[in-house]
Amino acid sequence: MTSKDDEFYQRLLTTFKGEAAEHLQAIADGVLTLEKGTSTSERASLIETIYREAHSLKGAARAVNLREIEALCQPLESLLASWKNESSQPVPEHFDLIHQTVTVLEDLVARSGIGVTAAQGAQARDLAKLLTRALAGRRTVAPASGPGKAAPPAPPIELQTAPNPEPAPAARPETAGDSPAGPTAPTAATVQPPRPPHQEKPLATETVRVATAKLDALLLQAEEFIAAKLIAGQRAADLREAVAEFALWQKYWAKVQPLLRDLKRLTSGDGRHRQAEQFCRTATQIGEFLDWNAELVKNLEHKLTPILRAAEQDTRVIGGLVDNLLFDVKKVLMLPFAMLLETFPKFVRDLAREQGKEVDFTIQGREVEIDRRILQEIKDPLLHLVRNSIDHGLETPEERARRHKPVQGRLNIAIAQKDSGKVEICVADDGVGIDPEKVKAAAVKQGFLSAAEAEGLTADEARQLIFRSGISTAPIITTISGRGLGLAIVQEKVEKMGGSLQVEAVPTGGTIFRLVLPLTLATFRGTLIQVGQRLFVIPTTHLERVARVKGEDVKTVENRETILLNGHPIALVSLAATLGVPSQGQGSSQNGFLTVLVLNVNGQRLAFSVNAVLNEQEVLVKNLGPQLLRVPNIAGATVLGSGAVVPILNVTDLVASAIKKTAPQHVVGQGKKEAEQQVSSILVAEDSITARTLLKNILELAGYRVQTAIDGVEGFTALQREHFDLVVSDVEMPRMNGFELTSRIRADKRLAELPVILVTALESPEDRKRGIEVGANAYLVKSSFDQGNLLDLIKQFI
Amino acid sequence: MSERSALRTAVPEMIRPQGNLATSPGASSPSAPYSFAENLAPDRDHIDIRGILRERARLLAQEPPPAPTGEVLVVVEFTLGAEHYGVKSRLVREVYPLKDFTPLPGTPPFILGLMNVRGQILSITDLNTLFGLPDSGLRNANQVIILQNPVREFAILVDTIVGMRTIPMAELQQDLPTLTGLAGEFVKGITPDRLAVLHGDKLLTDNRLVVNGDLA
Repeated sequence: MTSKDDEFYQRLLTTFKGEAAEHLQAIADGVLTLEKGTSTSERASLIETIYREAHSLKGAARAVNLREIEALCQPLESLLASWKNESSQPVPEHFDLIHQTVTVLEDLVARSGIGVTAAQGAQARDLAKLLTRALAGRRTVAPASGPGKAAPPAPPIELQTAPNPEPAPAARPETAGDSPAGPTAPTAATVQPPRPPHQEKPLATETVRVATAKLDALLLQAEEFIAAKLIAGQRAADLREAVAEFALWQKYWAKVQPLLRDLKRLTSGDGRHRQAEQFCRTATQIGEFLDWNAELVKNLEHKLTPILRAAEQDTRVIGGLVDNLLFDVKKVLMLPFAMLLETFPKFVRDLAREQGKEVDFTIQGREVEIDRRILQEIKDPLLHLVRNSIDHGLETPEERARRHKPVQGRLNIAIAQKDSGKVEICVADDGVGIDPEKVKAAAVKQGFLSAAEAEGLTADEARQLIFRSGISTAPIITTISGRGLGLAIVQEKVEKMGGSLQVEAVPTGGTIFRLVLPLTLATFRGTLIQVGQRLFVIPTTHLERVARVKGEDVKTVENRETILLNGHPIALVSLAATLGVPSQGQGSSQNGFLTVLVLNVNGQRLAFSVNAVLNEQEVLVKNLGPQLLRVPNIAGATVLGSGAVVPILNVTDLVASAIKKTAPQHVVGQGKKEAEQQVSSILVAEDSITARTLLKNILELAGYRVQTAIDGVEGFTALQREHFDLVVSDVEMPRMNGFELTSRIRADKRLAELPVILVTALESPEDRKRGIEVGANAYLVKSSFDQGNLLDLIKQFI
Repeated sequence: MSERSALRTAVPEMIRPQGNLATSPGASSPSAPYSFAENLAPDRDHIDIRGILRERARLLAQEPPPAPTGEVLVVVEFTLGAEHYGVKSRLVREVYPLKDFTPLPGTPPFILGLMNVRGQILSITDLNTLFGLPDSGLRNANQVIILQNPVREFAILVDTIVGMRTIPMAELQQDLPTLTGLAGEFVKGITPDRLAVLHGDKLLTDNRLVVNGDLA
């Protein structure tokens, strides 16, 4: 076989596997429903469906040359055919046999392409024999119809009403080689005109099979568009700021205009002597230039204003497009719970059999759709809960009979869409329930609680203890449960997806696990906060509230600072201290008020003081790169519209590390506030990011308020706007260098006295001389830079 | 449009601004922030353009040095403070200007912070701190080299990029006793002109450069 053919075969196999899984699922489902008993008409169509699925599976297996599967499908199909044309009645043994066959077929399908093991082959052959015997045996068994068992749902009326148009056994023989199951020739009844398998299924909507990996990639890309949306917003904001500058210009221009008119009037006269004439000409020219300049500025404003409007419009359009795209892509990735739950009935049945229990398992709300990623993640937790209910909840039939309960235990999974964006899954059983006293005892034994503490718990509170790792009330550890780890893991997983898990008792006996999940793995929403001078993002889901409290209201209790919120005391810690970043004015930033975030992690509440809460927005979470595998307190990072990288805080870590630090961190009272107002402010103009950051850190640590500029132009603009006590400037900068900046400062009346320190890589005496010429107060060389020197120097000037 | 071009033609008469008009004592102007003394005429006159061209021509006319024979190593040469380093060019994904970075609390001092490279977030390692090199004053490091191999990817902060260079392996002197500590471990060898060639792969794979911290 050429490799191309081989490749083609592999592709066929992949398709077959997908198809076979669906057929097998349909067979298992159908037989389970049959087993429960249905109305007569439903019965017929159900058998018809199961039969057709088996037939299609056989055909599909033959197409890819999987003889073992085909050989096992054959007797299965024959048995089903005999039900279909009512030459036999289903009996419980048959159901078991079919379930076994489905399991074996699943194994065979899984091995397809690799080759079947000898044991599997033998198993398949044995089953085929059993199936054939079941069919052959019907002649002897059928008249008795229901040997010992009470279950077979075969009231005699059904025999008459089954509306099956198929003519009975007198049919054509099957094509040669099609019936390796040999001896039972009468099974030839199965053959009908070969129909395409799915022809009669109603085609609700057209569907396309797409590899999930491709869809996931699409979702990732769609999510990246959030960045585009944020950037568009940022551009509009930048433009708005630029346009706003014109207002300032308008104001000054209005002041200057009359002066300019006066100047023109004064210089328009003639008959002066020569020098005056010269002056008049110059003044006129300046006047003309200023007029032209004003027109230019107005023109610019007129041009920029519509651009701003367009940018704002674009932002809205892009925002809408991106939101819709994301919404639709997420919808594509939503699947009904049925996908997840289809294997559950069989699982429950097998497990119940194994433990000798009888379970009536029902599911409501299979059609509810949820994000595929959540569906995948929730499968194990849900299986665990179901297993838990069967293992520990439901009693054996004898036990149940003793308690005057129906012999069959009830297990129900109900899925319902709650308010927007949330889905609730209830796993309910009518078993023994969870005994709060036993849970308490186990918790005390494990050392989670003191006996006195346990005494004080309500029954409901005690029940929640089962989610604590290591607590199990099961007297024996079985292979599947009883170790007490399961529920803790389940809860962790659920919470990781942004959901919650609770356990409730049913008064009539039994337990309900209530699982609430988000519909989609929502776009992460984060709150942008400022700590010291730095920005961080806090996941909004954990942010319970933001509050402002008075500095005096911070009270120390047992060496821990607390505040009162709604009458409840909450421990307060400084976020800057917890993170270990320099705080600036934190604690009494705005008129003695503290800005406080209340975080809630697994029911634990803690208040963190921050400098400011800026806004709440969509955030695209990115990891920190392969070098930073795990950083305490940091969960990841995101890129803002401006391109700035902002760390995202890990709330669980934060609470844990905050609890370790106990010393009071906020200076309570008024003294500090006054001191702060006298802090000197320094402008640092430096184009190199590393040098700029270093200078800023040094000066901030020394207690100065620092603002930075990336070059002389930005520095000079900052000086116009705000008051500074000193300037530290680099010399070599783009646009306007340090020398120019200094001479500008000296030339400005208001700034002339401002101390300027030049810090430079230029060491030559000429440069030094030039620095002094332009009016710098001091000249520091970078290569021999020492922070002590700089600070001493600054102290001389301010 | 026509209005504007009319305005423009009105300008040529304009005098060239000299010095600081904004503060010329004669004008009784308020302290308005307008000042078009932006140096429209930079001081280019004394630059000897011919001299520069002549020098350039001379350099171009020089015969290239003979290609080294035997096994060679192509490195990207950069400086850290006063020292010259090289790293295998195959490991260099790109050289990127460092415009801004975000310091990250809870990381060791050799992690300078995070940077945004076209939407990708990368960590920056400061070799100066990692190797414990002496502080060479206030650094003007504005560039990073992004190193990449199948295991890892991160940026290293450098002062200046010198260029590409081909080094014959035979010239590399190994085991210099003067190099101790971490720097010694990560330096593959030193050329006669004191270029330290770094063990790029080791930098990228060594776990000591990886942050995997627990809560303190």
